[in-house]
Amino acid sequence: MASIKVQSLRKEFVTSDSTVVALENASFEASGHVFVSIVGPSGCGKSTLLNILSGIETPTSGIAEITEGDKKARNGYVFQAARLLPWRTVMDNLLFVQKDRDAETRERCQRYLEMVDLGHTANKYPGQLSGGMQQRVGIARAFSIEPDVLLMDEPFSHLDAITGRSLRKELHHIWMETRKTVLFVTHDVGEAVELSNRMVIFGQGGRLREDMKIDLPFPRDPADDAVALTKANVLRTFEELDLVAS
Amino acid sequence: MVHPKGDMATKSAAKGDLKAGREPATDQEQKALLKKRADRRSRWIWRLAGYVFFIGIWQFSSTYLVEDFILPPPLTILETMQEIVTSGLLVTHFGATLEKIAIGFSLAFIIGAFIGILMGMNRWWEAFFSDWVLILMTTPGLIFVLVSTMVFGLSYIGPIVAVVITGFPYVAVNLVEGVKAAPKDLTDMARSYNVSRARLIRHVIIPFLAPFIFTAIRYGFSIAWKVATLTEVIGGNEGIGFMMRREFQSFSMAGFLSWALLFFAFALFLERIVLQRQIDRFFRWRPEVTS
Amino acid sequence: MPRGLRRFWRSTRTARAISIVSFLVGWQLLIPLLPTALIPTPFEVGEFMWAELRADTLAPETVYQAFATSLRRLVTGFGIALLIGIPIGLLMGLFKRVEEFLHDFVVVGLAMPSLVWALIAAMWFGFVERSSIITVILASVTFVIINVSEGVRAVPKDLLDMGRAYGTSDLHRVRHVVLPSLMPFLFASLRYGLANGWKGLVLAEIYASTSGAGWTIRFWYDARRAQGVIGYALFFMIFALLAERLVFRRLSDRVFRWRPSQDQPPPEAEGSVQVNI
Repeated sequence: MASIKVQSLRKEFVTSDSTVVALENASFEASGHVFVSIVGPSGCGKSTLLNILSGIETPTSGIAEITEGDKKARNGYVFQAARLLPWRTVMDNLLFVQKDRDAETRERCQRYLEMVDLGHTANKYPGQLSGGMQQRVGIARAFSIEPDVLLMDEPFSHLDAITGRSLRKELHHIWMETRKTVLFVTHDVGEAVELSNRMVIFGQGGRLREDMKIDLPFPRDPADDAVALTKANVLRTFEELDLVAS
Repeated sequence: MVHPKGDMATKSAAKGDLKAGREPATDQEQKALLKKRADRRSRWIWRLAGYVFFIGIWQFSSTYLVEDFILPPPLTILETMQEIVTSGLLVTHFGATLEKIAIGFSLAFIIGAFIGILMGMNRWWEAFFSDWVLILMTTPGLIFVLVSTMVFGLSYIGPIVAVVITGFPYVAVNLVEGVKAAPKDLTDMARSYNVSRARLIRHVIIPFLAPFIFTAIRYGFSIAWKVATLTEVIGGNEGIGFMMRREFQSFSMAGFLSWALLFFAFALFLERIVLQRQIDRFFRWRPEVTS
Repeated sequence: MPRGLRRFWRSTRTARAISIVSFLVGWQLLIPLLPTALIPTPFEVGEFMWAELRADTLAPETVYQAFATSLRRLVTGFGIALLIGIPIGLLMGLFKRVEEFLHDFVVVGLAMPSLVWALIAAMWFGFVERSSIITVILASVTFVIINVSEGVRAVPKDLLDMGRAYGTSDLHRVRHVVLPSLMPFLFASLRYGLANGWKGLVLAEIYASTSGAGWTIRFWYDARRAQGVIGYALFFMIFALLAERLVFRRLSDRVFRWRPSQDQPPPEAEGSVQVNI
């Protein structure tokens, strides 16, 4: 079982004339079949946290690690923009992140493409797909390495509302099926309430402000009373914490 | 800011009509197709009109306005060109020039690529080289031709040195831009998936740098042509430039124009057909750009 | 190493200085390796240049006179090229037919080595002022044409529509939308056109003139005075560098004031600084 451990994490960015603190004394843990949303206003260090956990950036101090048993876990990262190689076909994009490229791996990639209903696009170039399809390829790529943990950085924020909604449904479905640990960064409270069973709220300056459980039955319909009420409650918490951008 | 050549490179690379040959499905598509065809036809008509107009002016002025030795009629040029081709002079002299270009430009590319990558990755090295690169690019190639001819005389090395010195800054400048614009989002993505360095270079860096490399080759190559010919004009005993000088000294406008046009046509052929084919093959992944 | 010293070594100014010093040292070391005794030491070249700068010369023209003559020809020729090129470029940008009619010939003109223009002008007109000026025109006019026509096509239609929606006058839109968006293209034509015109001019002066910087470098070449050729080569480079620093960069800073500064990239654009070459 994969577990995420973040302890007294601090990250600063040093520019030529100033130092910006992106994360300050952040701590939380998560493991098992959970869907953790990380919510907060822009610039609160949410994406930085994912970048550190995925190994793109290194922390200034503190601990941020994801382990599977006693070794390092494998992460599948879904980015805000799909980040596909435009000069490689969809299949080659999936193969790009694999360890091996044998027939078995190909088959697996094809399977995950079919999981997001894109089996027929394997030989197309990303430029020939719509934005929503590209994002689905990004999701298939993350799953195709059979990760222990899934990291997602506002994966639906670039999409129109309808596409976003259907992808959210799809994601929930896959999560229930694969039972992965998911860390999902978003600034959209509604999205977080709809998808997650735990919510971690960050404030300005990268401080962790609130860590709450969302105990609602799935599937959740945003129009549902209980879901709408929870969303309103969370937003009120935001106001109380003075998180709403002034 | 368009540098004319670079711009044309991207335009023609983006061409390639994916839709051609497919059966039009709807009425609207049919209409669009018809319009496209009409457009293409009128484009060719106007283009042709351009050629007819210019060659007409040429013919007219050489018949009625000026003496033949000042502007020989088009037909005379064609005959002279044919003579040059059939006599075998073309192969000898083009071969001589091409050899210098091939060696000189390969060296220029290696040096330029090395310096360009260094400059793109490190500000210190950028400061170290940037003034020289700028100076070499803005100084007329003639200067280097004169100096290298003085140093190496009529030997083989002079022209090659001149080609290297004038060619490498163009390669360097283009690669600097490419390296600096490296797609951080994609390299980060690769890093988060623990992709190996070799794979990163092969699948991310090289495809990304390809357009910059092609532009570098295009520029560097056209400079190499010009400088190699120039060395032959100043002090060579074979090659296209040498023949151009001979015709110039004997005041044979027909001979000079023939060599100049052959030179031009050949350079254009190499650049547009040979190089372009490689470029198009490389850029199959680009989505069709509608103008 | 103490921090101050390390900072000193790391600064780009130091890099520039080291680059010049290593060039001079490399040159001095290279001389014995070259197959000729003609090549002077940096010191000899420096001596020659200093004498030239004091207007003490064996050549018929001092360096000031030579460059003044060439500059005059360059400016005259490029001025005429602008007068011819801008209207043609406008027509090509505005009307598709004109563009189709002329396109191939402009491309030929762009790619033609300036050597060919210089020699043709020399054969046509002989040793007269006209040859040099016409070479400049021929070598630069196509750069003006292509850039102006590209510029016209790049005028932002959405901003023009916006202007129209707010009921502004035609003149107002031309001044505040069309001209600013044309500026980068005019600037490019200035830069590339002048560079190519300058290259053609030097060649024209060598083959069809008895004055100017190009002719003077030939004078030293014929006299087998290498310090003269190299000295003049350096004068050419200094001339180009001065033109870049004093004219082009200032002009571009002025014209493009509205652009975000290139020296201080926004933090998220780290590593994608524009090249200032």
